[in-house]
Amino acid sequence: MTELTPYERAVNTIFNEKVDELAAYPIACGVLRKLLPGTVTYREWASDPEVCARAFVEGYNTYRFPFTVALVDLSLTASDLGAHVRMDTENTPFVDKPVINDLEDYERIQAPDVHQGRVGKMLKMNEILARELREKSFTISFLEGPLLTLSQSAGAERLFMDMYDDPSAVHRALSEITTMCVDGANAVGETGMQALCWDYLWANYSCLGDSEYAEFEADKYAKACNEATVKAGLGFGIHNCADLPHLDTQIRKFKPQVYSLAYYPLVPDSLSAAEVIDRGYADDCAVFGNIDPQLFVRGTREQIAQATASVTQEVKTALCRRGLNSHFGIASGCEVPPDFETKLENIQAVMDTVHEHGRFQ
Amino acid sequence: MEREGEKQMAKEQIFEDLANAVVNRDAGLAKNTAELALAEGVDPVEAINEGLVRGMNAVGERFAARQVYLPQVLASSRSLYAGLDVLLPAIPTDRLTGAKKAGTVVVEGDVHDIGKNILRTLLTASGYVVTDLGKDVPSDEVAEKVREESLDVLCVSTIMSPTMERMPEIIDLLKENGARSHVTVTIGGPPTSHSFAERIGADHRDDNAQDAVDWLRSVQ
Repeated sequence: MTELTPYERAVNTIFNEKVDELAAYPIACGVLRKLLPGTVTYREWASDPEVCARAFVEGYNTYRFPFTVALVDLSLTASDLGAHVRMDTENTPFVDKPVINDLEDYERIQAPDVHQGRVGKMLKMNEILARELREKSFTISFLEGPLLTLSQSAGAERLFMDMYDDPSAVHRALSEITTMCVDGANAVGETGMQALCWDYLWANYSCLGDSEYAEFEADKYAKACNEATVKAGLGFGIHNCADLPHLDTQIRKFKPQVYSLAYYPLVPDSLSAAEVIDRGYADDCAVFGNIDPQLFVRGTREQIAQATASVTQEVKTALCRRGLNSHFGIASGCEVPPDFETKLENIQAVMDTVHEHGRFQ
Repeated sequence: MEREGEKQMAKEQIFEDLANAVVNRDAGLAKNTAELALAEGVDPVEAINEGLVRGMNAVGERFAARQVYLPQVLASSRSLYAGLDVLLPAIPTDRLTGAKKAGTVVVEGDVHDIGKNILRTLLTASGYVVTDLGKDVPSDEVAEKVREESLDVLCVSTIMSPTMERMPEIIDLLKENGARSHVTVTIGGPPTSHSFAERIGADHRDDNAQDAVDWLRSVQ
């Protein structure tokens, strides 16, 4: 097969068309700031849309990523709802003071204007990316889903307790947050980005069962976000790096075009790449996984190359067995750790190894 | 004789009610039954072990088997503490001297403490006297607390990658202040691994709170 451009490889992967080689995309986001001249701190990267976009573009120029997933961090929406986000110089920003501290606070949550605040900055970054990477890399915006937003705004423990104590208050806040998320999807649709990936982290059998997840996200709130995404003309993706994701709900019921997951070999029932394919989850959805993200920080180039070669071979064999062309991409199971110590050469090693071992005749 | 039998039956009923209060997530019942236990002259240690702990162990097993999930476990732990708040102060101090002391903490730079709080509950249910050091705690404070309180076990967690390096820092500080030789250090959190635990000199790493408690029970 003739060599495809990274963008062509991405599109073919999404539609399960034949590819010259498997698509490879380590979810490299904050770590790409290291490619910029001078020393750009994590705080600067996460706060300045132009710097943030420049790092993603430089990531494409360096590694020729078929996909660019524009994840900043998981506290954008919570921050815009009023939660205090701590931005250390070299650490992923996180909520250190929730905005919901009692049951009445759920009632006070109001959907903000998504063009302001941190989501607003993300939208600006998305506009730049969409322009700069047009038809070079498949651009995917990234937003926290309603339940993740609420857990970031209230603290997970409080939220889970309050699901018991006063579910109506929780639902009231989720409705308002869903309005914000739907507005976010519409706004992303106007940036020129090609897809939107939702982080629906709590669909995890280590945390919630089917009935809780259905009630507090899937049936109403995620459904609204998913529909808004499609209506906004965006490709629809889900990222869930939990150890035991609700794949039947999130792949079979939600029907995303792209799904990204992680593999936890020590957790019983966590599915390997081959098991995901063998069980049919990649039949109608392009699935991405599942190199251990920690290898990017702590592994040697040889170790990560070996792990990548192994999963690449596993995926090629499983795709062939299932009669699929390309519906599985080689990615990190979660974001490449944005630590300053993360080795950029390990990202290159993943790309080189998939290029070498992931080719189709 | 008959009266003794009735007394024993009443006691068994109290244990059953305490266990059920935890399993059924009824904090009010746990508190009221704990008060009844003391009023009836039931040994508080026995009430904790045969009632509350038995209930929490059942919940822990169901959680491990994915028959219940985090919201249920958290609600059960609230019931456990509602009972413990009544029963613990009634235990004479000298009876607590044999209990192992454990500390739970989330490292500096991280505030995600739900896993740590579940572990604290299950440790308490397993008979440990638990000091919760909190979240986002500087490493030197952690090491100092371990030394001051002569903790037997330290459970350290983080869910973020950049803050993992606080873990070896804590272990190094424990070595410096002389506490490392008598404290078992176990770590947890999604980015951690067995090889990371080995590299930093931790004694153990686990995927979930119940397994961590089971491991501690097996080695102590």
